Order: sequence, then structure tokens, then C-alpha cells
Amino acid sequence: MTSVAPQKSKSGFDFSNYSRNHFLDGKGLGGFTATSTGTTIVGLIYKDGIVLGADTRATEGPIVADKNCEKIHYISDNIRCCGAGTAADTEFVTALISSNMQLHALHTGRKPRVVTAMTMLKQRLFQYQGHIGAALVLGGYDATGPQLFTVAPHGSTDKLPYVTMGSGSLAAMAVFESGWHKDMEQKEAVDLVVAAISSGIFNDLGSGSNVDVCIIKKDSTEMLRNYVMPNERAKKEQKYGFAKGTTRFTKEHIYSMIQKEDVFEVGSTAPTPAPLPAAAAGAGGEETMDTS
Amino acid sequence: MSDITTLNGGSCIAFKGKNCVAIACDLRLGNQALTVACNRDKVFKITDKTYLGMTGLASDVDTLRSAFRYRLNMYRMKEEREIEPETFAHLVSSTLYEKRFGPYFIEPIIAGLNSNNEPFIAAADLIGCLNFAKDFVVTGTASDKLFGMAEGLWEPDLGPEELFESISQALLGALERDALSGWGAIVRVITPDKVIERTLQSRQD
Amino acid sequence: MEALDMNRLKKGEVDLGTSIMAVAYDKGVIIGADSRTTMGSYIANRVTDKLTHLSDRIYCCRSGSAADTQALADIVTYYLSLYSVNMDQQPDVKTAANLFQDLVYQNKDRLSAGIIVAGWDKKNGGKVFNIPLGGGIFEQPWAIGGSGSTYIYGYCDATWKEGWGKEQTLEFVKNALSLAMRRDGSSGGTIRMADITEDGIERHFIPGDQLPELAGKIV
Repeated sequence: MTSVAPQKSKSGFDFSNYSRNHFLDGKGLGGFTATSTGTTIVGLIYKDGIVLGADTRATEGPIVADKNCEKIHYISDNIRCCGAGTAADTEFVTALISSNMQLHALHTGRKPRVVTAMTMLKQRLFQYQGHIGAALVLGGYDATGPQLFTVAPHGSTDKLPYVTMGSGSLAAMAVFESGWHKDMEQKEAVDLVVAAISSGIFNDLGSGSNVDVCIIKKDSTEMLRNYVMPNERAKKEQKYGFAKGTTRFTKEHIYSMIQKEDVFEVGSTAPTPAPLPAAAAGAGGEETMDTS
Repeated sequence: MSDITTLNGGSCIAFKGKNCVAIACDLRLGNQALTVACNRDKVFKITDKTYLGMTGLASDVDTLRSAFRYRLNMYRMKEEREIEPETFAHLVSSTLYEKRFGPYFIEPIIAGLNSNNEPFIAAADLIGCLNFAKDFVVTGTASDKLFGMAEGLWEPDLGPEELFESISQALLGALERDALSGWGAIVRVITPDKVIERTLQSRQD
Repeated sequence: MEALDMNRLKKGEVDLGTSIMAVAYDKGVIIGADSRTTMGSYIANRVTDKLTHLSDRIYCCRSGSAADTQALADIVTYYLSLYSVNMDQQPDVKTAANLFQDLVYQNKDRLSAGIIVAGWDKKNGGKVFNIPLGGGIFEQPWAIGGSGSTYIYGYCDATWKEGWGKEQTLEFVKNALSLAMRRDGSSGGTIRMADITEDGIERHFIPGDQLPELAGKIV
């Protein structure tokens, strides 16, 4: 009998289903589609710090799985990370490094540095040889000033003043290559990031919906969720309301969560219990809710 | 159709309402085109006010159901309280991601009311990427059809009875066009003081 | 038996489809590289620095997979800094080269990395070591590497002479790289060079619009 107790594994991953799935693969029953963030993510350095940007679409094959997901992940107060690729991988690898960065900061007693997060990320991604499908834009402000990196799924990194990643990276880079210059003002920088993300949203099918922006400066980090929403659904003029009783059902069961108690005052005569309201009848609190 | 996630068929959907949530599923269990059973409930009770729907490979649904029961019992004993739906969503997510390189072929959805009776719904893919939707979540072989139905029928701030009608019609509409789901449906509407469970009639083909 | 394809890149991997070179001269060694990093046909970085610091007077030029060569360089850098603390002296160039060779050879089925290690040490002066794909190690007076190098073997063979000084060597590296970048699609951008001598490291940068005339002769 197989135990349902969690198995201990060194890597944090459990490969116990691997051989079964490999067998199914051989039978032609394999293959699955995980949620991926087709994605446009960008980052740039401006006069006072870093601006990061991301679209908000998550896809599962041709289906839009999430119209408004968050792709700018928290690493530490002064560091954020945009993720593209396999959605679960970007989510978990950033969460892991965020946690390790906090432990590292506590251990050293210093404010965390961006290179530290970058090194942790590249070493983990390299260890998994690209199987953790996370393409990242890492940005932050630390003791050495504003820092911006990209981390590719196989664990290579680049350090540049303006970067793009994801399926919309070409569209966004086109905007950056024509618009970026040194020592931009904040408004100018944010506008350029919005233009780059918008270029991804409108020209790349894997990217869509809204623009998230994050501004990281020396002493502040500002997360501007849904900074621009150019794809709001038009308001429905009328509603599909169904009159009560539209849907025919053959069985009904109501599990009440109201506990009824009769309270007797000690030493006095028992009161006559009030008659139950009709709605609660037949739905005693003693009824169990086992739906198995 | 020879994909492992569509081998057994089945679909689930959850709607967020005003102070209530609804979660519904079909009842079919198949082996490719052959229908094996029509009483396979795909929604499981987690706590009084949190329900979990799982579609995909039926054997993995069973395995995970017992895995979650184990973990929930451990949580209850350690914490001496019931789990919040959001916490449970993260438990589901990390349980699935642990098997990142040898996944269970299921896609779960979670619906519930938290301890402040605020509605909560979430979905995850088979490796545990969470999706906290503010309107509805869908999963299963009819998921693309359910997306379409839900985009049309879902409205904000529906009460329990309106929510029941909307989610039922959304599910029944999608089942009309999915060969691998159907054979009846069960809808559960979770409100702060009761859970209404209704069995619907649907196509039998 | 199926031949081992060591040149392969994993799907979607970042490639340093490179032109790199290193030339020793009387005072030290000149290293140089183009600045192009590609993912398929997309230029992921047009100002890459492929001249990677290993220790005070030792650098390497990286070609092949960006991830593999960065990981290798990080490991060697770690060993060399450990060495300098333990031995209380700077490592020799050949020490760095042998560390690379060992890693590349032991993991030859997993890595796509062609590396040139170059630098200066007290005992041997300026030295160049070529460590190509299979994990061999070759000490050479000059070495070229990467996809662009194939176009300039003839030029280098015909041009290089022993006993050059710094300026002549710099000119040679600059010309050779510009010729390689002209012909190789996956090389390009700018030229980065470094002069490593006892006195320190002197970096040179030639922007893409100021490449030598020589390359302009190609029609």
C-alpha cells in the first residue's frame, strides 16, 4: 500500500510519479499544458533608480487562463522580480529566493543586494538545466546603487541598463531601443515602460490585458498594480438574469451551520421552547456534512 | 482525446457571489468515449465552508483526495482550528508543485467562505500555479466552453439563489457541447449559515 | 554507436556565438571579444562582456552556452580566490586553465563551452591557454575561438609574428576580430579588449561604428 504521507526529498521535488508518467507517455497518453505567462516583462534604469513593467495575461495553450495575474514578484523590500515562462516556476522560484534572501539578510545583518538574489537565481536555474522554465527580469536598489539583470531559464545572466523578456520582448525592445536614454526623469521612464509593455500587449498574442509598473528608488518601492488598463471589458448594458426556479433540480439537501441550543436557567422552571422558524425545519445542527 | 488529462472526462466551475460562493461539477466518469459511471461527484468538502473541485485523471483525483485529507488532519491537529480557504489554496498549490517533474494530472478549483464570511475562489494548473479570480474559475474537459458561458452569465454581487441559477445555466450550457462531461450535475451554494446542495438533470448522451 | 554531439545547445538556450581571441606578447597578454549574445536569431545582448575576470591578473574569453560558461567561470573564480587565500599568493595562469580543463573534460557530455584562459603571472609572464569543446588544454602564443574564429585562421596565421609590442598586438586583435565579426552572423556589435600586464588591466572599447577600415574592404 502506498502511503499518503509526504515523502522526504533532498531537492524539494518529488519524482515518484515520474516513471508512471513516462510509461503513460510511451502509451501516447502523455503530454500536458501548464499555465504559461506568454508575457512581456521589462525593466530599465533611470536617474533615480529602476522601473519594472509587466503585462497581466496568463495563458494555457490558446486559452487566456487569467486576465489579470501579477507577474512582478516580491523578493525583498528593495528588490522585485518580473517572471515569464512557466507560471508555476516563476511563482515558486521567486518565492524560494525571496525566502532565502530574507534568511541571508537576517544572517548577515545587512540590507539584501540584487547580485545576491541574481546569483541565487542563476545557480538554482543552472542546477535544473532549463527544466525550471523561468525567464526573469530582476531589479532593485542596494548599497551599490540601482541594479538590473535578466536571468534566462538555463541560468545565464545579463547586466544591462534596459532589458526585456518573454514572448513580447522583441516588441518591447523595439520601443526601448528607440526611446531609452541615460538619466531619464521618472515620468519619462514610467511612460517608456508603459509604451514598451503596451507594445507587447497589442502586438504579441501571448501578452495582454493591463500594465503593472514598479518603481524602485533608494528609499522607496512603489508597486503600481494595473497602472494602465487599456483593455477593460465594455460594460454590459443588460444582464442575463434567471428567474428563481429556472433550473430544475431533482434533489436538494441543505446543510445548516446554525447550532441550536435550548438554554435552561438553573433553579427556575424550564421555559417553553419557541416554535422553530419554518426555513430551519429539518436542518438540525446535529446533522453531519459528510459529502464523501 | 488520447491525452491523459481528458481520459476520464469531467468538468468543474465555481462562481463568486455576494457573501456566498457556488461550486458545481458534472457527474460523468468515462474511459475515453465509454461512460463508466454517472455518479462521480468531483467536489469534496474540506471544511464546513470550503470545498475543493478536482478534474482530470480520476485515479489522481482519488490519490490527491486522501493526500489532502491527511494534510488537513495534520493542520487541524497542529493549529487546533479549521483551515482558511486561501491557506488551503496554498496547500494545494505546494502539494502539486512538489511533483513539478512528475505531476498529478488534475486541475483543482477551490471555493469557500473565510472566517469573516468573505467569498473566496481560486484555481490552479496541474503543477500548482494559483489563479485568484475575482469572478469565476473553471476546469475540466469543458473548460473552454465554461469560460465562454461564465464570461456571459456571471454578474457581480449575485445572491445565493441568483448565483445558483447562473452557475447552473453556465454549467448546463457547457455540458450541452462537451462529449466527455455530463450525465447530471451537482451544484453547491455556500452561504454563511448553510450549504445548499442541489442535483441537476442534464443530457444523458 | 551514435556520435556525441557536443556542439548542441539545449532548446532555447542563450548562445555566445562568438569571436574571441587572446595573444601573448613580451609584457603580457591582449584578450579580445565581440559583444553579441543571441537566442536563435534574436540578439539578446549587443554589448555583452565576454572577457570575464577570474583573478587579479587572469581573465577568460567565453564561447558556447552563456549559462554553462558563466557557471564554469563562477566556479573557477571561487577556486582561485580560495587558492590565493590559502597559498597567500596569486595563482598562475596555468592553474586557472587546468581548473577549467578539468571541469570541461569531466562534464564534456553536459557542457558546450569553448574557453580561452589568458593572463599574467610572475613565474611565466603572459600566457594563453586554449580549452576547446572536448576538454583538451593547449598552450599557444595566440588563440582564437568561437564560431567567428573559423573565418580568420588564415589571416591570423599570415599576420602574427613573434616579438610584437603592445600597440602592434592590440592592432592585430582589433583587425582580426573585426574581420571575424564581418563574416560571422552570430558575432558582431562592438569589440572589447583588455591588456593584462604586471601593472594591471587596461580595458579598451571600440564601438560598432568605429571598427577598423580593414574590415570595410570586404564587399
